Amino acid sequence: MIISDAQQIKMLSSSEMDLIHEGTCRVLSQIGVKVTHEDIAELLVSKGAQRKGDRVLIPKNMVEKALADTAKTIQFDAPNPDYGFTVNASENQAKFGTGGQALYMVERTSEGWKEKLAGAHDLKQILALCDQLENVDFITRPVECDVPEDQMDVEKAKIFRDYSSKPMNLANLFKRDRLDEVLDIIGDPAYVSFIVCLVSSPLVMDTPSGDKLKAIVEKDLPVAISSCTQGGSTAPFSEVGELMQLNAEVLFGYVLANAIRPGAKVLYRGIPITSNLYSDGSPRWCQPESIRRVALATQLCRYYNIPCCATAGVSDEAEPSAQAISEKVLCWTYIIASGGHYINSALGMLNQVMSVSLDQYVIDDILLKIVKEKFKKNESKEVSHLAMDAMVEGLKLFGITVDEKIEEELRARIEHVEKSLEPYNEDNVSQQVDIIEKAVTQSGGSTVFMKASRVGLRKGYLYTGNRIDSPLDLTRVDERLEAVSIPE
Amino acid sequence: MSEQELLNELEHVILMGHINEEDEGLDGTMQGTPGTEELVKKALEEGIDPEKLLKTFGKAMEKVGEKFESGEFFLPDMMASGECVGNAMEIVEPKLAAGTSYEKGKFLIATVQGDLHDIGKNIVATMIKGAGYHVKDLGIDVPADNILEAIKEYEPNFVGLSALLTTTMTEMEQVVKRIREEGYSDIKIFIGGVPTSQEFADKIGADHHCKDAMEALNKLEKVRDAS
Repeated sequence: MIISDAQQIKMLSSSEMDLIHEGTCRVLSQIGVKVTHEDIAELLVSKGAQRKGDRVLIPKNMVEKALADTAKTIQFDAPNPDYGFTVNASENQAKFGTGGQALYMVERTSEGWKEKLAGAHDLKQILALCDQLENVDFITRPVECDVPEDQMDVEKAKIFRDYSSKPMNLANLFKRDRLDEVLDIIGDPAYVSFIVCLVSSPLVMDTPSGDKLKAIVEKDLPVAISSCTQGGSTAPFSEVGELMQLNAEVLFGYVLANAIRPGAKVLYRGIPITSNLYSDGSPRWCQPESIRRVALATQLCRYYNIPCCATAGVSDEAEPSAQAISEKVLCWTYIIASGGHYINSALGMLNQVMSVSLDQYVIDDILLKIVKEKFKKNESKEVSHLAMDAMVEGLKLFGITVDEKIEEELRARIEHVEKSLEPYNEDNVSQQVDIIEKAVTQSGGSTVFMKASRVGLRKGYLYTGNRIDSPLDLTRVDERLEAVSIPE
Repeated sequence: MSEQELLNELEHVILMGHINEEDEGLDGTMQGTPGTEELVKKALEEGIDPEKLLKTFGKAMEKVGEKFESGEFFLPDMMASGECVGNAMEIVEPKLAAGTSYEKGKFLIATVQGDLHDIGKNIVATMIKGAGYHVKDLGIDVPADNILEAIKEYEPNFVGLSALLTTTMTEMEQVVKRIREEGYSDIKIFIGGVPTSQEFADKIGADHHCKDAMEALNKLEKVRDAS
C-alpha cells in the first residue's frame, strides 16, 4: 500500500529529531558499546572508533558516514515473481509480514482457547495459510522448528522452500556455518533476508550475533538490525532517553554492517516499548505509550531516509479478543502513518510475541484490509480519525457493539499516542545520557532504570485505561479457514 | 531527634525508597536529605539497639507490600525499598551480637549460560535481599561450572535460575541436573523466566517455578517456614 504525504504523521519537529540524533551520537561517542569480539573491535577501530576498556566509542562522523553509505533501496524477490517488491527509503510504501519466534500456538477448542508448544508442523501450517492470505506480503519466521539447534536453519529453510512463494525472512540464523546450505535449499539468495539482534540492551554487543551479521552482510543479503528496548527496565523510562539508547544500539549496527561492506542492505528495526512497572516488569507491546514510542522510532528512521523495518500489531492479549483487535488496528494505523516500509510481526501475534494463532492470522488479514481501505479512501483525513474509524469498523465486523463507553476508551488511547509527556530539550537529553551511563557502568542496570522511573510513572507515562472485553463472532474466520488449504 | 523519631524517620525513608543522600526518592524531592544508609549509620552511632533497626526494616517492608497490593505502590517503589533494606542490612550486620544473624537463609541466583537477560533476576534478587535473605548474584550468562563452584563455596540454602530464551531452557535443565548429580539434594531450586513453567520445573527436577518476583518471595517464605 502507498500512503499520501498528507497522511504521513510527524509527531516530532525536525529540531526535536536533530536533538535525538545529537543525543544518540553522545551516547555512542561517550558511553559506546561493550564489544568483547576482538576482530570486530579491531575492525571498528581501523575505521575510526576508539577503545575505552571493553567499550568501543563511535564518533559522530562514523555514524553519519554509515548512514550515507548504507543501501537506500532493497529488493525482496520471491519464488512467485508477482510477490517481489522493492523497499525504497524515500517512498511511503508499506508492506506487511508475519513475525515472531513464538513459543506457543493458540488453538480454538470446544473448551475455549488452548495453548500448546509450537514446532515444525505449526510452521508448515502457518506458512501455507499465509501464502493464501492477500494482505501478507512477506513471511518472517513465526515459530521455530522443534529440532536440535544445529539442524534448525536447514529444517526451517526446507519448510520455507516447500510452503512459501512470498519473500522469506528467516529471522534468526542459528549457525552461521550453515548459511550456504540454507541458501542452496531455498534455491535463490534473492528470496532470503534475516534479522539480527546485534546489541543487547543496554549497549552490549552480542558476540555470536556479530559473527552472524558479518556472514549475512558478506553475502550481500538484506538484514534488519533489531533492538527492542523496554523503557523502565533495559532502557530509560523517559521516551527521550529510550529513543536515544535504542537509536544508538541500531545505528551501531549500521556502523558495523557498513564497515564490513559499504552499501550494506540494512533495515532499521527499532522497537522501543515499555515495561509493565505497575506489576511484574513484563513488556507492554501494544499499549498506547509503546505504540507512540515505536511510531517515533519509525519516524526517526524516515528522518534518516533509510529503509524501515517497523514492528506493529503484537498484541498483549493471550488469545484472540476484542481488546487484541483494538490494539492491533491502532498500532498498524500509527506505524503506517509514521512511514514504516517493511512492517513485520504484523499478523498472527499474541501474548507479547509468545504466541501465534491460525485464527488470529485470518482476523488480522481481514482487519488489515480495513485499515488499508481507510487510508486509500480518505487521503486527506487526519490519522486520529483514520484510526478511530478503522477500530470501530474492525470491532463491529467481529460482532462487537461499539457504544459510547468504548468510543471514549478508543479516543483516550489515540490521545495518549499523540501526546508528548516530557520536554525535548538539552537538559532532558543530558539527564537521560547520565542515566544510561550509570546503568551501563554499574551491575544491575535494570535497577538503575527502574528507580529512575518512579516520577514518570506518577506522571502517567504508562497508559491506564479500560480493557475492551466482549465476545467475538468468528463466523468470518471459520469461512476463511474452510476456504484455504492447510496441511493436516 | 529522639530514638523513636529517628526510627520513624528511618521507616519513612525506606517506604519512600530513599537509599542515600544521592537519590531523589519516591517523589523526586529527597536528593540531599539523609537516606536509609545515613540514618542507619546515625542510629548505630547513637547506640540504638540493632535489633530495633531490624524490626523497623521489617515493619517498613510490610507496609511497602501492603501499598503494592493496594495499587498505591508500583514495582520500582518495591525495588527501591528492597534495595534500601538490603544496603541497610549490610551496615547493621557487623554490629549484631556474636552468633546472631539477620539472615533468613542464603540464596544464590544466576541467569544461565547463553542468556543475557537480567531484568527478572535483578528484581527477584533485590526483593529477596530486602526480605532478609543473604543473596549472592552471579550475574548473567553464567556457565554451569561457575554455578557449581559458587554453590560449593557459598553453601546456599536456595538457588534461583533464570532463563528468558527457549534455547537457554536446555542449559537450565543441565544446571539443575549437575546440582543434583553433585549431591546437593537439600538445596531448593527455584526457576523463572518467560518460557518456563511449573511443568518444566517438574520435568527438569527443580523444586519451584515462579512467575514473578512476588511469587518467588511468597514461595520462598513458605518453603523456609516449612523447613
